[in-house]
Amino acid sequence: MKITFQHTYNAPREQVWTLLQDEDTLVRTLPGCKRLHLVRDGLYETELGLDVGPIKGLFEGHVEMCEQEEPTRYRLKLSGRGKPGELTADSWVFLEDKDGKTVVTCDADAQVSGLLASVGQRVTGSVARMLLGRFFKNVEAELRRSAS
Amino acid sequence: MASVFGSTLKRREDPRLITGNGQYSEDIQLPGMLYASVLRSPHAHARIVNINTDAAKALEGVVAVYTGKDLEGKIGTVPTAWLPPDSNIQTPPHEVLAVNKVRYVGDGVALVVAENRYVARDAVDLIQVTYAPLPAVAEQEQAIADGAPILHDGVENNVAFHWQAGNATDDVFENAEVIVKQRFRQQRLIPNPMEPRAATAQYNPATGEMTLWATSQNPHIHRFLLSGILGIPENKLRIVSVDVGGGFGAKIACYPDEAMVAYAARDLKRPVKWVEDRRENFLVTSHGRDMVLDVEFAGTKDGDFTAIRVKNIANMGAYLSTAGPGVPTILFGLIVPGAYKIPYAAVDVYGVFTNTTPTDAYRGAGRPEATYLLERMVDLFAAEIGKDPVEVRRRNLIQSHEFPYNTAMGLEYDSGNYEVALDKALAMVGYEELRQKQQELRSQGRHLGIGVTTYVEICGLGPSQVAGAVGFQGGLWESATVRVHPTGKVTVFTGASPHGQGEETTFAQIVSQRLGVPFEDIEVVHGDTNRIAMGWGTYGSRTTPVGGNAIAVAVDKVLEKAKKIAAHMLEVSEEDVRFEDGKYSVEGAPTRSVTIQEVTLQAYLAWNLPQGVEPALEGTAFYDPVNFVYPFGTHICVVEVDEETGDIDLVKYVAVDDCGRVINPMVAEGQVHGGIVQGIGQALWEGAVYDEQAQLLTGTFMDYAMPKARFFKEFETAFTETPAPQNPLGVKGIGETGTIASTPTVVNAVMDALRPFGVKDINMPLTPERVWNAIEKGRQEA
Repeated sequence: MKITFQHTYNAPREQVWTLLQDEDTLVRTLPGCKRLHLVRDGLYETELGLDVGPIKGLFEGHVEMCEQEEPTRYRLKLSGRGKPGELTADSWVFLEDKDGKTVVTCDADAQVSGLLASVGQRVTGSVARMLLGRFFKNVEAELRRSAS
Repeated sequence: MASVFGSTLKRREDPRLITGNGQYSEDIQLPGMLYASVLRSPHAHARIVNINTDAAKALEGVVAVYTGKDLEGKIGTVPTAWLPPDSNIQTPPHEVLAVNKVRYVGDGVALVVAENRYVARDAVDLIQVTYAPLPAVAEQEQAIADGAPILHDGVENNVAFHWQAGNATDDVFENAEVIVKQRFRQQRLIPNPMEPRAATAQYNPATGEMTLWATSQNPHIHRFLLSGILGIPENKLRIVSVDVGGGFGAKIACYPDEAMVAYAARDLKRPVKWVEDRRENFLVTSHGRDMVLDVEFAGTKDGDFTAIRVKNIANMGAYLSTAGPGVPTILFGLIVPGAYKIPYAAVDVYGVFTNTTPTDAYRGAGRPEATYLLERMVDLFAAEIGKDPVEVRRRNLIQSHEFPYNTAMGLEYDSGNYEVALDKALAMVGYEELRQKQQELRSQGRHLGIGVTTYVEICGLGPSQVAGAVGFQGGLWESATVRVHPTGKVTVFTGASPHGQGEETTFAQIVSQRLGVPFEDIEVVHGDTNRIAMGWGTYGSRTTPVGGNAIAVAVDKVLEKAKKIAAHMLEVSEEDVRFEDGKYSVEGAPTRSVTIQEVTLQAYLAWNLPQGVEPALEGTAFYDPVNFVYPFGTHICVVEVDEETGDIDLVKYVAVDDCGRVINPMVAEGQVHGGIVQGIGQALWEGAVYDEQAQLLTGTFMDYAMPKARFFKEFETAFTETPAPQNPLGVKGIGETGTIASTPTVVNAVMDALRPFGVKDINMPLTPERVWNAIEKGRQEA
């Protein structure tokens, strides 16, 4: 399942980049993030408590950020396992400078299995988009916070 | 006495079923009963690295947790019971719980047994399984391609079997005047009986006897197979299936779950119940159809059919289900020439393993798929040579005087009167006027379509000798015992195992008519291996032609003995006694008579029986039919397609079926109605969908479109009666004709409507989106 999401920040690219790479920011911005624990460079163990439609419950898994090409793009991998099934996502995040603003585009390929697939697949795409939306909006709030 | 055979009597099973008094497997309640729940794989293909059951076992109320490793060596594997000959069939083991590898979403990984079903279900979530996912494949053509993931070690290219039959060589096609080629996709269907599967097992440690109440279309076959899996001899294993809420083929197969439940009951010495939930039913109860069909059809410009050749790549799922391999081979291949005189026919069938739910029989089982491709090809051929599809059909139909007719596939069709059924259906629908109306409407931009199918099906499975020859690992005869009690009441024990079709009514009608006792005095017993000697079950429209005739023969044995006693009572010789309406009378002196009830009482009292006659009165028959039976008929559908939306309106549906002599017109019509609904379901709405990772996407009724009553207008049905010549009752099967005929009928009608757009074929289901896209594509190409 391919998901694309785009968000424009009223901030310079370098600032957005730094924020997106920051561990403390991630804890605050990842939807439902209960725990983020560095395993090795770029790889974190995480627990996400989600409650959107069929994606409900505690998901345990990993977040990985790698292949960084500062400040233009990096790769973001996500895997999680919970009662309703498993989900994995492999995505590229692109940062583009546009007149001093920053356009962030996330191209993700997500897979779900188990109940999530057989019951939830029809809405999983929208739910994933919604969660991504929350993430980017949370990042925006962080930006505003750091600006003030 | 008015004839009971042939009259519309209300189904006697219905009052209990519609007032909540049915006895389904789920209704069994036993003291001390435990509940089981199965952990199923979320992956379509993965190695099991580790299973940790500690947390599940620690949950209060959990009695036992079993994994595949726990059961290894203690329980057998699930066998396949149909091995088509000369097909190099591969039967890799199907473990009741996966040991090292899971092969489809739903494959069992662990069984939890607990004090109640809620705890059992909660405990399933506490089992931690570490999987190493493997690449998966859901589609059969991808599965046989080089480089595809291999499901079973040693099964090259995932080919489970390769079966060929018939003869239609290249030169026949090279020399043909007209050739039509087409690829069809028989989409996968999910049977969805109203009652999911259920099993309750009780083990008696004192006697070593195991009783299993289970949802079964064939309890004796399940006893046979489960006896081997569990290591319990048949004389200690009892399978009971009193009321079963529909099967449609999905309750033929022997599944791991029922075996595990029985295993746990014996291991824990407590009764154990398992009830499949609807999501499990979607995932693990056998699916149907799923074939990719490449067809070549040859004929003359005048409209004579000369040859048909089919390549079938059939999706068998992750394991070979009980009767699965018989469906795309024997049940499909042999009926490919249909109701027509086609000199050459051949089929080439590959059965393929994929990471999907195993497939098996689904109402019609092979015959709907064969009839679909044939009836679609006939329409494509008629269009190619510019003739009316009805005219082309009529020209090639086997004529009534040509029976018994030997087909290119080696079958001997018993009887038929195809044109009578065709003419009746044409008259009912008003064919000529419809064609005129179609022209008129077309000029107004409205698109009426008329679809016709003239089908024949093979059913009444079947002669046991043939069953053996085609690799079915069982017999296909049927048993019946007709026991007349001292008061004249009758109990009929049948080895056929009806599960909603109404044979408690129709079998009583057979006995009432033949034995001359009131319908109300007859009880029909089925679905219990301890009460019935042997039986092969209900599928393949065999219950009436095989099970019903077994009863007729058993009644005849009763009558033969009763006649001896009656003659003795009347003090005349047997030759001077005649039997009519339940009364034995002296030839020429009709007032001197005794009733069957009076004879019965004397048979039991045994105070004065003729020499050499044993007391009591009952007859048992083990009836093995000499041939299959071949019901036939014509279905016609009228649709109107909205070119703006692709929506299909079912304007009219006419079905004329001939199942030989009709025992109960209402029950037979009910079977036709249900069959039509299921067949149209395939044509227009239903279809299982897997994604690229072989995850089932259509796992709920939100995603899988089941037909509803409001989708249909009234069906107009009628019967013609051509008595079956090779069985005592003259009957054929009626359970599957609707699904066999209706799917191509509706699709033919839609394609007929779309002719102005140049559309020749659309893959089922014909959703408005697909129809609209085909119309748009046709417009662009025009």
